[in-house]
Amino acid sequence: MPIGRAKKASPDVESRARLAFEAEALASVDSLYRTALRLTRVPADAEDLVQETYLKAFRAADRFQPGTNLRAWLFTILHNTARNRARDRAREGLTVDSEAVDQAADTPSYGLSGPVPTPEALLLREALTPELRAAVDELPDAFRQAVWLRDVEEFSYAEIAEMLNIPVGTVMSRISRGRRMLFDRLQHLNPVHA
Amino acid sequence: MPSNHSSCASIDSLVTPFIDGELNPVDRQLIEQHLSRCGACRSRVAAEQSVHELMQERKTALCHGHAPAILRSRCAAAARFSTAGTKPASASSGNADSAAVGNAVGNAIVGKRVRFGRRAWAWMAPLSAAASLVVIVGGAFLYQATAESSHLLAAELAADHMKCFAMNAVLGTHQSAETVQSSMAAGFGWNMRLPAGAEREGLELVGSRPCLYGEGKIAHIMYRHNGEPLSLFMLPRTVRPEQLVETLGHECAIWSSQDRTFVLVSRESRADVEKLAQYVDVAMR
Repeated sequence: MPIGRAKKASPDVESRARLAFEAEALASVDSLYRTALRLTRVPADAEDLVQETYLKAFRAADRFQPGTNLRAWLFTILHNTARNRARDRAREGLTVDSEAVDQAADTPSYGLSGPVPTPEALLLREALTPELRAAVDELPDAFRQAVWLRDVEEFSYAEIAEMLNIPVGTVMSRISRGRRMLFDRLQHLNPVHA
Repeated sequence: MPSNHSSCASIDSLVTPFIDGELNPVDRQLIEQHLSRCGACRSRVAAEQSVHELMQERKTALCHGHAPAILRSRCAAAARFSTAGTKPASASSGNADSAAVGNAVGNAIVGKRVRFGRRAWAWMAPLSAAASLVVIVGGAFLYQATAESSHLLAAELAADHMKCFAMNAVLGTHQSAETVQSSMAAGFGWNMRLPAGAEREGLELVGSRPCLYGEGKIAHIMYRHNGEPLSLFMLPRTVRPEQLVETLGHECAIWSSQDRTFVLVSRESRADVEKLAQYVDVAMR
Protein backbone atom coordinates (compact mmCIF):
# COMPACT_ATOMS: atom_id res chain seq x y z
CA MET A 1 0.00 0.00 0.00
CA PRO A 2 1.40 3.39 -0.94
CA ILE A 3 0.39 4.95 2.37
CA GLY A 4 2.35 2.36 4.34
CA ARG A 5 5.34 2.95 2.14
CA ALA A 6 5.02 6.72 2.48
CA LYS A 7 5.14 6.38 6.24
CA LYS A 8 8.24 4.19 6.26
CA ALA A 9 10.45 5.95 3.70
CA SER A 10 11.70 9.40 4.51
CA PRO A 11 10.02 12.09 2.42
CA ASP A 12 13.36 13.03 0.93
CA VAL A 13 14.18 9.54 -0.32
CA GLU A 14 10.61 9.13 -1.48
CA SER A 15 10.56 12.35 -3.48
CA ARG A 16 13.98 11.69 -4.99
CA ALA A 17 12.85 8.25 -6.14
CA ARG A 18 9.69 9.82 -7.50
CA LEU A 19 11.64 12.43 -9.45
CA ALA A 20 13.92 9.75 -10.90
CA PHE A 21 10.89 7.72 -11.91
CA GLU A 22 9.28 10.74 -13.58
CA ALA A 23 12.46 11.66 -15.43
CA GLU A 24 12.94 8.12 -16.71
CA ALA A 25 9.30 7.89 -17.74
CA LEU A 26 9.41 11.23 -19.55
CA ALA A 27 12.46 10.08 -21.52
CA SER A 28 10.12 7.75 -23.45
CA VAL A 29 7.83 10.51 -24.71
CA ASP A 30 9.28 10.43 -28.25
CA SER A 31 8.94 6.70 -28.74
CA LEU A 32 5.48 6.67 -27.15
CA TYR A 33 4.39 9.48 -29.44
CA ARG A 34 5.77 7.71 -32.53
CA THR A 35 3.96 4.53 -31.59
CA ALA A 36 0.78 6.44 -30.77
CA LEU A 37 1.02 8.06 -34.18
CA ARG A 38 1.24 4.63 -35.82
CA LEU A 39 -1.79 3.57 -33.75
CA THR A 40 -4.02 6.57 -34.37
CA ARG A 41 -2.50 8.02 -37.57
CA VAL A 42 -3.82 11.40 -36.38
CA PRO A 43 -1.32 13.68 -34.57
CA ALA A 44 -3.90 15.28 -32.25
CA ASP A 45 -5.22 11.84 -31.22
CA ALA A 46 -1.68 10.59 -30.71
CA GLU A 47 -0.88 13.54 -28.44
CA ASP A 48 -4.02 12.91 -26.46
CA LEU A 49 -3.21 9.24 -26.11
CA VAL A 50 0.33 9.93 -24.88
CA GLN A 51 -0.86 12.54 -22.40
CA GLU A 52 -3.45 10.17 -20.99
CA THR A 53 -0.80 7.46 -20.80
CA TYR A 54 1.42 9.67 -18.63
CA LEU A 55 -1.46 10.73 -16.43
CA LYS A 56 -2.32 7.09 -15.77
CA ALA A 57 1.31 6.10 -15.34
CA PHE A 58 2.08 8.81 -12.80
CA ARG A 59 -1.09 8.08 -10.94
CA ALA A 60 -0.29 4.38 -10.78
CA ALA A 61 3.44 4.91 -10.18
CA ASP A 62 3.31 2.89 -6.97
CA ARG A 63 2.20 -0.15 -8.97
CA PHE A 64 5.32 -0.12 -11.12
CA GLN A 65 7.84 -2.79 -10.10
CA PRO A 66 11.27 -1.15 -9.85
CA GLY A 67 13.86 -3.08 -11.80
CA THR A 68 11.42 -4.06 -14.54
CA ASN A 69 11.26 -2.34 -17.92
CA LEU A 70 9.63 1.06 -17.37
CA ARG A 71 9.42 1.70 -21.11
CA ALA A 72 7.55 -1.57 -21.68
CA TRP A 73 5.23 -0.70 -18.79
CA LEU A 74 4.43 2.68 -20.38
CA PHE A 75 3.81 1.00 -23.74
CA THR A 76 1.41 -1.41 -22.04
CA ILE A 77 -0.54 1.53 -20.58
CA LEU A 78 -0.52 3.24 -23.98
CA HIS A 79 -1.95 0.19 -25.72
CA ASN A 80 -4.52 -0.47 -22.99
CA THR A 81 -5.67 3.13 -23.29
CA ALA A 82 -5.87 2.88 -27.06
CA ARG A 83 -7.88 -0.34 -26.77
CA ASN A 84 -10.32 1.25 -24.34
CA ARG A 85 -10.78 4.17 -26.68
CA ALA A 86 -11.35 1.86 -29.63
CA ARG A 87 -13.96 0.02 -27.55
CA ASP A 88 -15.66 3.31 -26.71
CA ARG A 89 -15.66 4.28 -30.36
CA ALA A 90 -17.11 0.90 -31.27
CA ARG A 91 -19.89 1.50 -28.74
CA GLU A 92 -20.57 4.79 -30.45
CA GLY A 93 -21.20 2.85 -33.63
CA LEU A 94 -17.90 3.15 -35.48
CA THR A 95 -16.41 -0.09 -36.68
CA VAL A 96 -13.14 -1.58 -35.51
CA ASP A 97 -11.46 -4.03 -37.82
CA SER A 98 -9.18 -5.62 -35.23
CA GLU A 99 -11.51 -8.51 -34.37
CA ALA A 100 -11.73 -9.70 -37.94
CA VAL A 101 -8.01 -9.19 -38.21
CA ASP A 102 -7.44 -11.40 -35.17
CA GLN A 103 -9.20 -14.23 -36.90
CA ALA A 104 -7.24 -13.67 -40.06
CA ALA A 105 -4.03 -13.79 -38.03
CA ASP A 106 -4.80 -17.29 -36.84
CA THR A 107 -5.08 -18.72 -40.33
CA PRO A 108 -1.85 -19.95 -41.89
CA SER A 109 -0.22 -17.16 -43.81
CA TYR A 110 2.59 -18.81 -45.68
CA GLY A 111 2.36 -19.69 -49.28
CA LEU A 112 -0.41 -17.21 -50.06
CA SER A 113 1.74 -15.41 -52.54
CA GLY A 114 3.55 -18.46 -53.75
CA PRO A 115 7.29 -19.03 -53.59
CA VAL A 116 9.41 -15.90 -53.53
CA PRO A 117 12.90 -15.94 -54.99
CA THR A 118 15.54 -14.81 -52.55
CA PRO A 119 17.35 -12.34 -54.85
CA GLU A 120 14.14 -10.40 -55.35
CA ALA A 121 13.64 -10.28 -51.64
CA LEU A 122 16.95 -8.54 -51.39
CA LEU A 123 15.85 -5.91 -53.87
CA LEU A 124 13.31 -4.79 -51.28
CA ARG A 125 16.01 -2.56 -49.96
CA GLU A 126 15.39 -0.22 -52.85
CA ALA A 127 12.10 0.81 -51.30
CA LEU A 128 12.20 4.43 -50.19
CA THR A 129 11.60 5.23 -46.56
CA PRO A 130 8.38 7.20 -47.23
CA GLU A 131 7.11 4.21 -49.22
CA LEU A 132 8.01 1.92 -46.36
CA ARG A 133 6.30 4.16 -43.83
CA ALA A 134 3.18 4.35 -46.00
CA ALA A 135 3.17 0.57 -46.39
CA VAL A 136 3.45 0.16 -42.62
CA ASP A 137 0.61 2.62 -42.07
CA GLU A 138 -1.58 0.70 -44.51
CA LEU A 139 -1.29 -2.55 -42.56
CA PRO A 140 -4.34 -3.53 -40.52
CA ASP A 141 -3.97 -2.34 -36.90
CA ALA A 142 -3.14 -5.67 -35.29
CA PHE A 143 -0.32 -6.50 -37.71
CA ARG A 144 1.09 -2.99 -37.77
CA GLN A 145 1.30 -2.88 -33.99
CA ALA A 146 3.05 -6.24 -33.75
CA VAL A 147 5.62 -5.54 -36.46
CA TRP A 148 6.26 -2.03 -35.20
CA LEU A 149 6.76 -3.06 -31.57
CA ARG A 150 9.14 -5.84 -32.58
CA ASP A 151 11.19 -4.42 -35.44
CA VAL A 152 11.27 -0.73 -34.56
CA GLU A 153 10.74 -0.50 -30.81
CA GLU A 154 12.51 -3.86 -30.30
CA PHE A 155 10.40 -5.30 -27.51
CA SER A 156 10.44 -9.00 -26.65
CA TYR A 157 7.55 -11.29 -27.65
CA ALA A 158 6.53 -11.51 -24.00
CA GLU A 159 6.48 -7.73 -23.59
CA ILE A 160 4.42 -7.30 -26.76
CA ALA A 161 2.02 -10.03 -25.59
CA GLU A 162 1.47 -8.07 -22.39
CA MET A 163 0.99 -4.78 -24.25
CA LEU A 164 -1.48 -6.15 -26.76
CA ASN A 165 -3.09 -8.51 -24.25
CA ILE A 166 -2.72 -11.54 -26.54
CA PRO A 167 -0.83 -14.86 -26.23
CA VAL A 168 2.83 -15.00 -27.27
CA GLY A 169 1.93 -17.39 -30.11
CA THR A 170 -0.46 -14.82 -31.54
CA VAL A 171 2.23 -12.14 -31.25
CA MET A 172 4.53 -14.26 -33.41
CA SER A 173 1.86 -15.08 -35.97
CA ARG A 174 0.92 -11.40 -36.26
CA ILE A 175 4.54 -10.35 -36.71
CA SER A 176 4.98 -13.03 -39.32
CA ARG A 177 1.83 -12.19 -41.20
CA GLY A 178 2.49 -8.45 -40.94
CA ARG A 179 5.97 -8.83 -42.40
CA ARG A 180 4.61 -10.93 -45.26
CA MET A 181 1.96 -8.32 -45.99
CA LEU A 182 4.62 -5.63 -45.99
CA PHE A 183 6.72 -7.71 -48.31
CA ASP A 184 3.86 -8.07 -50.77
CA ARG A 185 3.08 -4.36 -50.66
CA LEU A 186 6.68 -3.35 -51.19
CA GLN A 187 7.05 -5.83 -54.04
CA HIS A 188 4.10 -4.25 -55.79
CA LEU A 189 5.71 -0.85 -55.43
CA ASN A 190 8.60 -2.05 -57.55
CA PRO A 191 7.00 -4.04 -60.38
CA VAL A 192 10.30 -3.94 -62.26
CA HIS A 193 11.72 -6.33 -59.71
CA ALA A 194 8.66 -8.50 -59.29
CA MET B 1 15.87 -37.98 -36.86
CA PRO B 2 12.43 -36.47 -37.06
CA SER B 3 13.91 -33.34 -38.62
CA ASN B 4 14.56 -35.23 -41.86
CA HIS B 5 10.82 -35.66 -42.24
CA SER B 6 9.66 -32.29 -40.92
CA SER B 7 6.81 -30.88 -42.98
CA CYS B 8 6.42 -27.27 -44.09
CA ALA B 9 3.44 -26.89 -41.76
CA SER B 10 5.36 -28.16 -38.76
CA ILE B 11 7.98 -25.43 -39.01
CA ASP B 12 5.42 -22.65 -39.47
CA SER B 13 5.55 -21.48 -35.88
CA LEU B 14 9.35 -21.53 -35.87
CA VAL B 15 9.93 -19.17 -38.77
CA THR B 16 9.42 -15.85 -36.99
CA PRO B 17 11.45 -16.68 -33.86
CA PHE B 18 14.10 -18.14 -36.17
CA ILE B 19 14.39 -14.83 -38.02
CA ASP B 20 14.37 -12.92 -34.74
CA GLY B 21 17.13 -15.12 -33.30
CA GLU B 22 14.85 -16.32 -30.51
CA LEU B 23 14.94 -20.08 -31.18
CA ASN B 24 16.58 -22.62 -28.95
CA PRO B 25 19.41 -24.63 -30.59
CA VAL B 26 17.28 -27.75 -31.10
CA ASP B 27 14.52 -25.93 -32.96
CA ARG B 28 17.04 -23.88 -34.88
CA GLN B 29 18.70 -27.03 -36.12
CA LEU B 30 15.30 -28.45 -37.04
CA ILE B 31 14.36 -25.49 -39.20
CA GLU B 32 17.82 -25.17 -40.75
CA GLN B 33 17.68 -28.79 -41.83
CA HIS B 34 14.25 -28.29 -43.31
CA LEU B 35 15.32 -25.13 -45.15
CA SER B 36 18.32 -26.91 -46.64
CA ARG B 37 15.89 -29.26 -48.40
CA CYS B 38 12.85 -27.06 -49.07
CA GLY B 39 13.09 -24.23 -51.58
CA ALA B 40 9.55 -22.96 -50.96
CA CYS B 41 10.21 -22.48 -47.27
CA ARG B 42 13.59 -20.89 -47.99
CA SER B 43 11.76 -18.32 -50.09
CA ARG B 44 9.17 -17.49 -47.51
CA VAL B 45 11.80 -17.20 -44.79
CA ALA B 46 13.85 -14.97 -47.07
CA ALA B 47 10.82 -12.74 -47.70
CA GLU B 48 10.06 -12.29 -44.03
CA GLN B 49 13.70 -11.86 -43.20
CA SER B 50 14.13 -9.17 -45.83
CA VAL B 51 11.30 -7.13 -44.32
CA HIS B 52 12.68 -7.61 -40.81
CA GLU B 53 16.11 -6.42 -41.94
CA LEU B 54 14.68 -3.53 -43.91
CA MET B 55 12.66 -2.33 -40.91
CA GLN B 56 15.67 -2.53 -38.64
CA GLU B 57 17.88 -0.84 -41.18
CA ARG B 58 15.38 2.03 -41.53
CA LYS B 59 14.57 2.20 -37.86
CA THR B 60 16.23 5.60 -37.41
CA ALA B 61 14.55 7.04 -40.49
CA LEU B 62 11.17 5.61 -39.50
CA CYS B 63 11.58 7.13 -36.06
CA HIS B 64 12.53 10.58 -37.23
CA GLY B 65 10.76 13.48 -35.56
CA HIS B 66 10.07 14.19 -31.93
CA ALA B 67 6.99 14.59 -29.81
CA PRO B 68 5.77 18.22 -30.04
CA ALA B 69 7.22 20.48 -27.32
CA ILE B 70 3.77 21.24 -25.95
CA LEU B 71 3.07 17.54 -25.49
CA ARG B 72 6.35 17.15 -23.66
CA SER B 73 5.40 19.97 -21.27
CA ARG B 74 1.94 18.56 -20.74
CA CYS B 75 3.30 15.15 -19.88
CA ALA B 76 5.71 16.74 -17.43
CA ALA B 77 2.78 18.66 -15.94
CA ALA B 78 0.93 15.34 -15.61
CA ALA B 79 3.56 14.33 -13.06
CA ARG B 80 2.80 17.38 -10.94
CA PHE B 81 -0.92 16.83 -11.08
CA SER B 82 -0.82 13.21 -10.12
CA THR B 83 1.21 13.58 -6.94
CA ALA B 84 -0.24 15.95 -4.36
CA GLY B 85 -3.61 14.93 -3.06
CA THR B 86 -5.35 13.75 -6.19
CA LYS B 87 -7.21 10.51 -5.96
CA PRO B 88 -7.47 7.85 -8.62
CA ALA B 89 -10.50 8.12 -10.86
CA SER B 90 -11.53 4.60 -9.94
CA ALA B 91 -11.66 5.19 -6.19
CA SER B 92 -15.06 6.09 -4.88
CA SER B 93 -15.03 9.34 -2.96
CA GLY B 94 -15.62 9.54 0.72
CA ASN B 95 -14.23 6.16 1.75
CA ALA B 96 -10.85 5.24 3.11
CA ASP B 97 -9.62 4.18 -0.35
CA SER B 98 -9.75 7.74 -1.59
CA ALA B 99 -6.69 8.41 0.53
CA ALA B 100 -4.76 5.57 -1.09
CA VAL B 101 -2.86 7.76 -3.53
CA GLY B 102 -0.62 10.70 -2.92
CA ASN B 103 2.26 11.60 -0.70
CA ALA B 104 2.14 12.30 3.02
CA VAL B 105 0.93 15.87 2.49
CA GLY B 106 -1.61 14.67 -0.01
CA ASN B 107 -2.96 12.13 2.45
CA ALA B 108 -3.55 14.78 5.07
CA ILE B 109 -5.36 16.94 2.54
CA VAL B 110 -7.49 14.08 1.28
CA GLY B 111 -8.54 13.27 4.85
CA LYS B 112 -9.60 16.83 5.45
CA ARG B 113 -11.27 17.11 2.09
CA VAL B 114 -13.46 14.12 2.74
CA ARG B 115 -14.61 15.55 6.07
CA PHE B 116 -15.36 19.02 4.74
CA GLY B 117 -16.72 17.53 1.58
CA ARG B 118 -19.51 15.68 3.30
CA ARG B 119 -20.51 18.66 5.38
CA ALA B 120 -20.42 21.07 2.45
CA TRP B 121 -22.31 18.67 0.23
CA ALA B 122 -24.99 18.04 2.84
CA TRP B 123 -26.24 21.59 2.71
CA MET B 124 -25.13 22.72 -0.70
CA ALA B 125 -26.42 19.85 -2.78
CA PRO B 126 -30.06 20.94 -2.88
CA LEU B 127 -29.09 24.33 -4.30
CA SER B 128 -29.65 24.80 -7.97
CA ALA B 129 -27.75 27.18 -10.19
CA ALA B 130 -30.54 29.70 -9.78
CA ALA B 131 -30.17 29.63 -6.02
CA SER B 132 -26.42 29.92 -6.08
CA LEU B 133 -26.51 33.64 -5.18
CA VAL B 134 -27.35 32.54 -1.65
CA VAL B 135 -24.03 30.74 -1.53
CA ILE B 136 -22.23 33.85 -2.70
CA VAL B 137 -23.80 35.91 0.05
CA GLY B 138 -22.46 33.39 2.49
CA GLY B 139 -18.99 33.79 0.97
CA ALA B 140 -17.65 36.25 3.52
CA PHE B 141 -18.60 34.00 6.39
CA LEU B 142 -17.00 31.05 4.75
CA TYR B 143 -13.69 32.77 4.28
CA GLN B 144 -11.97 31.47 7.41
CA ALA B 145 -13.00 27.96 6.60
CA THR B 146 -12.05 28.18 2.93
CA ALA B 147 -8.58 29.31 3.85
CA GLU B 148 -8.18 25.86 5.35
CA SER B 149 -10.20 23.81 2.98
CA SER B 150 -9.73 23.66 -0.74
CA HIS B 151 -13.07 21.95 -0.95
CA LEU B 152 -14.96 24.98 0.25
CA LEU B 153 -12.91 27.21 -2.02
CA ALA B 154 -13.89 24.96 -4.90
CA ALA B 155 -17.54 25.00 -3.84
CA GLU B 156 -17.60 28.77 -3.66
CA LEU B 157 -15.92 29.20 -7.02
CA ALA B 158 -18.15 26.56 -8.64
CA ALA B 159 -21.12 28.61 -7.43
CA ASP B 160 -19.47 31.77 -8.80
CA HIS B 161 -18.90 29.99 -12.07
CA MET B 162 -22.62 29.12 -12.34
CA LYS B 163 -23.68 32.61 -11.33
CA CYS B 164 -21.41 34.40 -13.80
CA PHE B 165 -22.41 32.16 -16.69
CA ALA B 166 -26.08 32.65 -15.81
CA MET B 167 -25.49 36.41 -15.95
CA ASN B 168 -23.53 36.09 -19.14
CA ALA B 169 -26.45 34.29 -20.76
CA VAL B 170 -28.51 37.43 -20.08
CA LEU B 171 -25.88 40.04 -20.91
CA GLY B 172 -24.31 38.13 -23.81
CA THR B 173 -20.86 39.59 -23.14
CA HIS B 174 -18.13 38.54 -25.53
CA GLN B 175 -14.62 39.91 -25.05
CA SER B 176 -11.47 39.59 -27.10
CA ALA B 177 -8.23 38.17 -25.72
CA GLU B 178 -6.69 41.67 -25.80
CA THR B 179 -9.53 43.09 -23.68
CA VAL B 180 -9.17 40.32 -21.13
CA GLN B 181 -5.41 40.70 -21.00
CA SER B 182 -5.55 44.45 -20.48
CA SER B 183 -8.22 44.17 -17.77
CA MET B 184 -6.09 41.57 -15.97
CA ALA B 185 -3.12 43.94 -16.12
CA ALA B 186 -5.20 46.92 -14.94
CA GLY B 187 -7.23 45.11 -12.30
CA PHE B 188 -4.65 42.72 -10.88
CA GLY B 189 -1.26 43.96 -12.07
CA TRP B 190 -1.14 40.60 -13.78
CA ASN B 191 0.69 40.78 -17.09
CA MET B 192 -0.53 37.54 -18.58
CA ARG B 193 -1.00 36.06 -22.01
CA LEU B 194 -4.05 33.91 -22.54
CA PRO B 195 -3.15 30.40 -23.70
CA ALA B 196 -2.16 30.43 -27.33
CA GLY B 197 -3.79 27.88 -29.62
CA ALA B 198 -6.75 27.61 -27.26
CA GLU B 199 -9.11 27.08 -30.22
CA ARG B 200 -7.31 23.87 -30.98
CA GLU B 201 -8.25 22.68 -27.50
CA GLY B 202 -11.87 23.53 -28.24
CA LEU B 203 -11.68 26.60 -25.95
CA GLU B 204 -13.63 29.69 -26.90
CA LEU B 205 -13.05 32.82 -24.86
CA VAL B 206 -16.18 34.39 -23.39
CA GLY B 207 -14.72 37.18 -21.28
CA SER B 208 -13.47 38.10 -17.85
CA ARG B 209 -14.83 39.64 -14.67
CA PRO B 210 -13.43 40.57 -11.32
CA CYS B 211 -15.16 38.45 -8.67
CA LEU B 212 -15.24 38.89 -4.93
CA TYR B 213 -13.76 36.16 -2.87
CA GLY B 214 -13.39 36.50 0.88
CA GLU B 215 -12.06 39.98 1.48
CA GLY B 216 -10.33 40.37 -1.82
CA LYS B 217 -10.86 40.53 -5.53
CA ILE B 218 -10.05 37.60 -7.77
CA ALA B 219 -9.92 37.27 -11.54
CA HIS B 220 -12.51 35.19 -13.33
CA ILE B 221 -11.84 34.29 -16.96
CA MET B 222 -14.73 32.60 -18.68
CA TYR B 223 -14.47 30.17 -21.55
CA ARG B 224 -16.62 27.72 -23.34
CA HIS B 225 -15.00 24.34 -23.91
CA ASN B 226 -16.73 22.48 -26.71
CA GLY B 227 -19.68 24.71 -25.92
CA GLU B 228 -19.74 23.96 -22.17
CA PRO B 229 -19.06 26.73 -19.62
CA LEU B 230 -15.57 26.63 -18.15
CA SER B 231 -14.04 29.07 -15.68
CA LEU B 232 -10.48 29.88 -14.80
CA PHE B 233 -10.12 31.75 -11.51
CA MET B 234 -6.90 33.42 -10.39
CA LEU B 235 -6.37 34.28 -6.73
CA PRO B 236 -3.48 36.71 -6.29
CA ARG B 237 -0.91 36.26 -3.51
CA THR B 238 -2.23 32.84 -2.55
CA VAL B 239 -0.50 29.49 -2.65
CA ARG B 240 -2.40 26.25 -2.21
CA PRO B 241 -1.56 22.59 -2.60
CA GLU B 242 -2.56 21.05 -5.92
CA GLN B 243 -5.84 19.24 -5.82
CA LEU B 244 -8.71 18.03 -7.89
CA VAL B 245 -12.02 18.45 -6.08
CA GLU B 246 -15.53 17.49 -7.07
CA THR B 247 -18.24 19.82 -5.80
CA LEU B 248 -21.73 20.94 -6.80
CA GLY B 249 -21.59 18.73 -9.86
CA HIS B 250 -18.38 20.38 -11.05
CA GLU B 251 -14.76 19.26 -11.17
CA CYS B 252 -12.33 21.88 -9.85
CA ALA B 253 -8.60 21.68 -10.47
CA ILE B 254 -6.59 23.81 -8.03
CA TRP B 255 -2.93 24.60 -8.48
CA SER B 256 -0.45 27.37 -7.79
CA SER B 257 2.20 28.99 -9.88
CA GLN B 258 4.55 31.55 -8.32
CA ASP B 259 2.35 33.44 -5.84
CA ARG B 260 -0.92 32.89 -7.68
CA THR B 261 -3.47 30.18 -7.22
CA PHE B 262 -5.54 29.00 -10.16
CA VAL B 263 -8.81 27.15 -10.07
CA LEU B 264 -10.32 25.65 -13.19
CA VAL B 265 -14.01 24.79 -12.91
CA SER B 266 -16.11 22.79 -15.33
CA ARG B 267 -18.81 20.15 -15.49
CA GLU B 268 -16.65 17.98 -17.70
CA SER B 269 -15.09 14.69 -16.65
CA ARG B 270 -12.31 14.57 -14.11
CA ALA B 271 -9.86 13.41 -16.78
CA ASP B 272 -10.82 16.28 -19.11
CA VAL B 273 -10.54 18.88 -16.37
CA GLU B 274 -7.16 17.51 -15.37
CA LYS B 275 -5.97 17.71 -18.96
CA LEU B 276 -7.28 21.22 -19.46
CA ALA B 277 -5.68 22.36 -16.21
CA GLN B 278 -2.34 21.01 -17.37
CA TYR B 279 -2.77 22.72 -20.68
CA VAL B 280 -3.60 26.07 -19.08
CA ASP B 281 -0.83 25.74 -16.49
CA VAL B 282 1.79 25.12 -19.16
CA ALA B 283 0.41 27.58 -21.69
CA MET B 284 0.22 30.51 -19.26
CA ARG B 285 3.74 30.25 -17.91
